[in-house]
Amino acid sequence: MNILASYNWIKEYLDTDLSAEVFAAKTTAIGNSVEMIENVADRFENMVVGDVVKLEVHPNADKLKIALTDIGGKKVRVVCGGENLEEGQKVVVGLPGAKVRWHGEGDLIELKESEIRGEKSHGMICAASEIGFEKLPQEETDIWDISALTDAKAGTPIAKALGLDDILFDIEATTNRPDCKSIVGQAREGVAVTGAKFEAEPPRPAFGKGNGGFTVDVKDKALCPRYTAVVIDGVTVGPSPWWLQKRLLLSGHRPINNIVDVTNYVLHEFGQPLHTFDADKLAGEKIVVRKAKKGEKMVALDGEEYELTPDMLVVADSKKPVAVAGVMGGLPTGTTEETTKVVIECAAFDSVSVRRTSRALNLYSDSQLLFEKGLSTEALDAAMARAIELIIEVAGGVVVSDLIDERAGKYKTLSFPFDPEVVNQLIGIEIETKEQTTILESLGFEMKGKEVVVPYWRDNDIEASVDLTEEIARVYGYENLPSILPEGALANMSENVSLVWQRRVKDLLAGAGLVEVYSYAFISVQQLERYSLPTKDAVKLRNPLSKDHEYMRPSLVPSMLTVIEENQARDGAGDLFEFAPVYHAKKGDIPDQPYGLLLASYGQDGAAGFVRAKGMLERLFDQVGINNWDLARDADETLWHAGRSASVIVDGKSVGVIGQVRNSVAKAFGLDVSVVLVDLDIESLIPQFTQNKSYTEIPQFQEVKRDLAFVVPERTEFAAVREAALAVSELETTLDLFDVYRGKGVDDDKKSLAIHMTFRSDERTLGAAEVDEELSKIRGVLVKKFGAIMRS
Amino acid sequence: MKNDLEELKNDFLKLVKEVGDRAQLEELKNEFLGRKGKMKGLMKDMASLANEERKVIGAFANEIKESIESVFGEHEERFAAEEESTRAEREWVDISEPGRFEGAGHLHPVSQAIGEITDIFARVGFTAVRAPEIDWDYYAFESLNLPKDHPARDDWETFFVDAPEGKKGKIVLTPHTSNSQVRTMETQEPPIRMINIGRCYRRQIDITHVPMFHQFEGLMIDKGVSVTHLKGVLDYFAKTYFGPDRRTRLRPHHFRFTEPSFEVDISCGACGGEEHENCRVCKAGWLELGGAGMVHPNVIKAGGLDPDVYSGFAFGWGVERTLMMRSGIKIGDIRTLYKNDLRFVKQF
Repeated sequence: MNILASYNWIKEYLDTDLSAEVFAAKTTAIGNSVEMIENVADRFENMVVGDVVKLEVHPNADKLKIALTDIGGKKVRVVCGGENLEEGQKVVVGLPGAKVRWHGEGDLIELKESEIRGEKSHGMICAASEIGFEKLPQEETDIWDISALTDAKAGTPIAKALGLDDILFDIEATTNRPDCKSIVGQAREGVAVTGAKFEAEPPRPAFGKGNGGFTVDVKDKALCPRYTAVVIDGVTVGPSPWWLQKRLLLSGHRPINNIVDVTNYVLHEFGQPLHTFDADKLAGEKIVVRKAKKGEKMVALDGEEYELTPDMLVVADSKKPVAVAGVMGGLPTGTTEETTKVVIECAAFDSVSVRRTSRALNLYSDSQLLFEKGLSTEALDAAMARAIELIIEVAGGVVVSDLIDERAGKYKTLSFPFDPEVVNQLIGIEIETKEQTTILESLGFEMKGKEVVVPYWRDNDIEASVDLTEEIARVYGYENLPSILPEGALANMSENVSLVWQRRVKDLLAGAGLVEVYSYAFISVQQLERYSLPTKDAVKLRNPLSKDHEYMRPSLVPSMLTVIEENQARDGAGDLFEFAPVYHAKKGDIPDQPYGLLLASYGQDGAAGFVRAKGMLERLFDQVGINNWDLARDADETLWHAGRSASVIVDGKSVGVIGQVRNSVAKAFGLDVSVVLVDLDIESLIPQFTQNKSYTEIPQFQEVKRDLAFVVPERTEFAAVREAALAVSELETTLDLFDVYRGKGVDDDKKSLAIHMTFRSDERTLGAAEVDEELSKIRGVLVKKFGAIMRS
Repeated sequence: MKNDLEELKNDFLKLVKEVGDRAQLEELKNEFLGRKGKMKGLMKDMASLANEERKVIGAFANEIKESIESVFGEHEERFAAEEESTRAEREWVDISEPGRFEGAGHLHPVSQAIGEITDIFARVGFTAVRAPEIDWDYYAFESLNLPKDHPARDDWETFFVDAPEGKKGKIVLTPHTSNSQVRTMETQEPPIRMINIGRCYRRQIDITHVPMFHQFEGLMIDKGVSVTHLKGVLDYFAKTYFGPDRRTRLRPHHFRFTEPSFEVDISCGACGGEEHENCRVCKAGWLELGGAGMVHPNVIKAGGLDPDVYSGFAFGWGVERTLMMRSGIKIGDIRTLYKNDLRFVKQF
């Protein structure tokens, strides 16, 4: 969470003259990252106070005027369309070179000497929105009349005239430090980094006596540990003075009226949200902090009506909710121009309750953001005092009540044991005890013997002694610590084998020409159904982002088919793979999450694709040392092409499927190309993977090569042919298929196989006659067993 | 006989001068020295000579043969040189034609980054471990010092599995890789140096967020581990992965499971960290790498170890972010990483 912090404002609390850059660097180094430094005056370069001396009509445009304007030492003619433009006004004149935003929208434009409808214009008279004050309440067609804001002479630079000589920091406060999302918080941290003094004389407002006619009843003290209120009568609601509006504008707030502006001012200054009610609109002169009743509704300050539920904490009057506690006040009971008596609320609300209520209502505010990070019950007093002081200053009135203060119990300060030696051990260097305590004290901690007392504004983030180490370390400065590579004994740990093989397999597949894909692990019910995966076994999410992401995928196949579908028009063919976990629900336990491996070859004829896919599988198994594998024609026919699919069997166990995706499935996924997949349960195989290789001596005697071609019936499996041929050979014989031919010259139900054979003996060089004899034996068995007809 | 040989040689010398190309030269050589050539013919006649004379003539014949061969060689070299001088003309290749390499595969950039990160940490003794990415609430939150009502445990930040609660709470899609911390401590005696690179899930999807992404988690637990060691290891990683000229800094931050906690920043690679006024890449010369810190005593306790004896550090960074920060790959929409448009993957 970020805060726009004015350096001038910080300096009201911190006595420092450090340059903005140095202050920002130091602030960043202790954990309040300054993400931007802006010199506010730069925005108003080439803008000066102008006195409108005389107005003339524009000869060529009804809605435009020509303003003769004194810009200090000279009068210039400026074309202007502002409806409220009058002689005698003080205005902001943007001279050539000034940067403005037309009608408060779009990019900054640099003004140039220009001609508007035939009349020269020396710059422009600006609207507030055109020079960065979009949030100032102004009519859209008006220019910014600054007559009431400044006495500065014509020609005075605007930044000077309006007190805009300031530096703005955009600071990120960490989520545990809502106190740092405030000017005072930044000043307190500033004490530690600059060594300067924190200067704050807390205001002592004059309270009235009694309860001012209002009772406060906190029904749920767990969710509202402290509630304070005061009643102020006789206020005059109207616009805030410029100094207050200016602070709010620079801080990103929208000025509304003086009462509301003060609460926002104090919110920004102290990091403590406040709310004001119009006292006359609260029914029964009563404030009740309670859970909402079923069916209760409230229109909030944003104008929307919200339906409340009984788990939400509300602030109510005797009849109805008047604020969603800590989130937003109600519109009907808010302050308006008519308001003369106000109740100021300054309370502490439970962070979790505020967060859950805000999320449930989808209603967010600056208050809610702070409350849900956890605020101290003791932060109320200073903020309340400041608010009273400011309201009386800008809206008048008298405090007619004492501080109404309802709290759950007496405040107990937190304290933790402190051991400088432990601090040094964790940080890794020796920091003198004196230096350690000085740092803690500069942050508002108090040393009390061997204990450290936590300042109230750190109630919610300091939880243990180790937190003190962080305080010391961050102020000491991490840049002052050396970088040391740890020595000592190495961990006795072995790398996870699945990870090792995952990497090897991925490298291997990419090296073999496959492209890796990464799909979301989420899957829709439609995807599951298209691939006939039962939803009851799939891991279902209770709060998916969308229907498309309702389940965790039990198979890599559906997402792969979707990837192919999305690429088929552009990339008509290819080989892909994904290596990722799949998820299977398990009763009473977290799901099984084994790695799956899916290879895909798409875009060619299914038979050719099968051969390619099998080639990929062979290469993979060869490289991971799986030798004892086989295919069996028993893949599920509802998913796979019955003639072009098989189970992959390793050691007699099915570990996956290779096959062309069945037409009906392909159609369901919108595929125009044929797809052959190898879907492996790789996790179950990994334990068998090995990098050990066996080696056979290179043979001593020459081998003899022979080729053979023959025609066999279509349904003859090559594996059977090879097995039969090798069975009759008494030599060291190999047999490789190099061509399968169908077509002209071969009957329709037949195919021609062409094979390379080698013959060799370990004892001698083979003679031609011996080889021929061997070959004829093989021919014989092929003819006999398969009805082979020899070609050539 | 001797004269016949002389004559043969002279014939050859005369004829060889008329030879115009290599083929003719080859033919001439064959005619004289080939298997059925003139030389062979004469040699056959030698068989009829007496022993003594055959010896003399034989030696002479060899001389003649060698001199013919030598002249032949000279001519051959001449032709070869001529041939070389015109080779570039005759055998010109268009080097601008694209090369051909069928079947180029591609690893997804995330896989490439994971591999590199694993290697770098392995060199300083960190072993890769694996942890479930769908895990018990206990490992993802409870044991990491995140209280029950912490926002990360709310429905709108973390994915929950639609399953009954078990002994270790609800079942969640881990929003970080930190569930490996207590899991590792439960099974591994210190010293521990582990790295867990895995998938994480958060309920966010827009141009800068994907609901599934990757993190790498490092954990070191031993006696006497301090912030200086964390700085040492992170510096080592940053300099190795990003380059020796890059600097890192620790910025105090807040995480529930570490204390102290830091955000680790690295000097901007685009502007060098110096000329950052107009740099579009960094914030004031620095880029956020990710979170780190000293393991919170409560987490060490949850891991079954004594925080008074052991201390440690942990860090958990986004792989995608780290990858993009180095290579300067500008992926306008991070969802592109998991869209699987092959035109994307094939660039890596």
